[in-house]
Amino acid sequence: MSTAPLIGLYAPNDVLAWETDGPRFVSEFLADVAELAASLPDYPSVLNLLSSRYEFLVGFAAAMVRGQVTLLPQSRAPQTLRRIASENGDCYGLTDRNDTIEGLPCIAVPSTRVCPGRSVAIPRIPLRQQVAVAFTSGSTGQPMPNRKTWGALVSVARDTGIRFGLKADRCRAVVATVPHQHMFGLEASVLLPIQHGLVMHAGRPLFPEDVRTALEDVTGRSVLVTTPLHLRACVMAGVKFPQLEMILSATSPLASELAREAEDQFHAPVNEIFGFAEAGSVASRRTVTTDEWHMLDSVMLVGEDPAWSVQAEYLPRAIRFPDRIAITAQGKFRVLGRMEDQVNIAGHRASLGDLTRKLLEVEGVEDGAFFLPDIDQAPLTRLIAVVVAPGKTPQDIRRALRLSVDPVFLPRPLLLVPSLPRNETGKLPREALRRLVEQHAEQESHHEL
Amino acid sequence: MSSLALEHEVATLIVQTLKLKADPSTIQPEAALFGDGLGLDSIDALELSLAIAQTYGYQVKSSDPEIKAMFSSLRALTRAIEKNRTK
Repeated sequence: MSTAPLIGLYAPNDVLAWETDGPRFVSEFLADVAELAASLPDYPSVLNLLSSRYEFLVGFAAAMVRGQVTLLPQSRAPQTLRRIASENGDCYGLTDRNDTIEGLPCIAVPSTRVCPGRSVAIPRIPLRQQVAVAFTSGSTGQPMPNRKTWGALVSVARDTGIRFGLKADRCRAVVATVPHQHMFGLEASVLLPIQHGLVMHAGRPLFPEDVRTALEDVTGRSVLVTTPLHLRACVMAGVKFPQLEMILSATSPLASELAREAEDQFHAPVNEIFGFAEAGSVASRRTVTTDEWHMLDSVMLVGEDPAWSVQAEYLPRAIRFPDRIAITAQGKFRVLGRMEDQVNIAGHRASLGDLTRKLLEVEGVEDGAFFLPDIDQAPLTRLIAVVVAPGKTPQDIRRALRLSVDPVFLPRPLLLVPSLPRNETGKLPREALRRLVEQHAEQESHHEL
Repeated sequence: MSSLALEHEVATLIVQTLKLKADPSTIQPEAALFGDGLGLDSIDALELSLAIAQTYGYQVKSSDPEIKAMFSSLRALTRAIEKNRTK
């Protein structure tokens, strides 16, 4: 069976990652992986919640070496974790030292390492081996599993590197503000550096000043892997950043004006990745020059208007686009709009139907709906919820929702109403909801807190 | 400016930046901003840090030992801004 090595071209004394306390050399990394792999329990799958990108990678690699699948939950909400764990057979957790997952056997990482520096060969992983499952929230309310093979991850990392001409002699490191448990984060901030012989920064900088410090930790030019929200903060903060090689942005569309400002400030091209959890990264564009997306080399568009899918050798089947698109040329497309039920808040995708279902599961809620307000010029749009729940306060409901819903989807505001404007067939016309929300916003502008 | 006046100014900044649709004077100075209180998250922290940098010239950073305490309440945030502001 064909295989691919865990990491790309490095010398044993090269730096593979940069931790808070300094470098992790390739030889050290391989020894850490071998040691953890030997101590993992004999379970088929693992929830890897490690917050250091380096420790996450060690855990991910050790699991692959043992033939185990890493589960990537779409949120850390306790109910989501429990549900995923219970539906994926025997499963254990890899957690930070002061963290656990309720009801699951957990291993704290890093454990005390006993024989650092022993020489270990680079493991080779079969391309067809299933190594990760990324969960998305489907309209059914169940987390939908999207299975990833090692071949899929390696292919995307290689195609992305080729697209942007990434070479270890020009570029030194990858610094990322995105979480590594997210599909784009796994591809662009973990696989991309280790497949191209670059230094993977283990941190996850949040504030612009954190980004600057992380970029200065590593010598030479870096790729900054980020989102429009973080990029906007960096551009507006008035912080002086070191020279970059490139910026890679994904998870939500980047405004071309912001892309231009970022290119000016960082003196580097800003490229966007188009991807979705079901297929991974599929296309890219340089935002200041075009609004057309260019498919990665191994990915093809198949189907016919309006039902387009992507196909690749490493995908088990053709996968439908989550957005409506128009083909503009061979291998190129424009995005026309999103599918009705899907929302994207700060790069997190969810189904409104699923969120509403979770709202209705809250004790005391008689009726309710989530609602995406018309997009204004604001950088961040939040969802609104309209709820019928006599005797409950918005805080009660928000507290309950927090257990099952990722915080970015928590409604703001959450409006308590006597009834919802349902029509005769029991449907909720969007226009009626919008009017209701507007009325309430005016009347009860002091009620939210 | 007195601490109390600054506290009200920061409350207004929070409400405007995060579009909370609330009267700034109703934010309890000692109540939690994140989690159960106002229910803010890390994206709000990022937005808030940007407004603080622009208004007070103070660049918030995670390596700051006081970072957790500082985002814990309106009063703590006001204290941190008072101490670190450059404009």
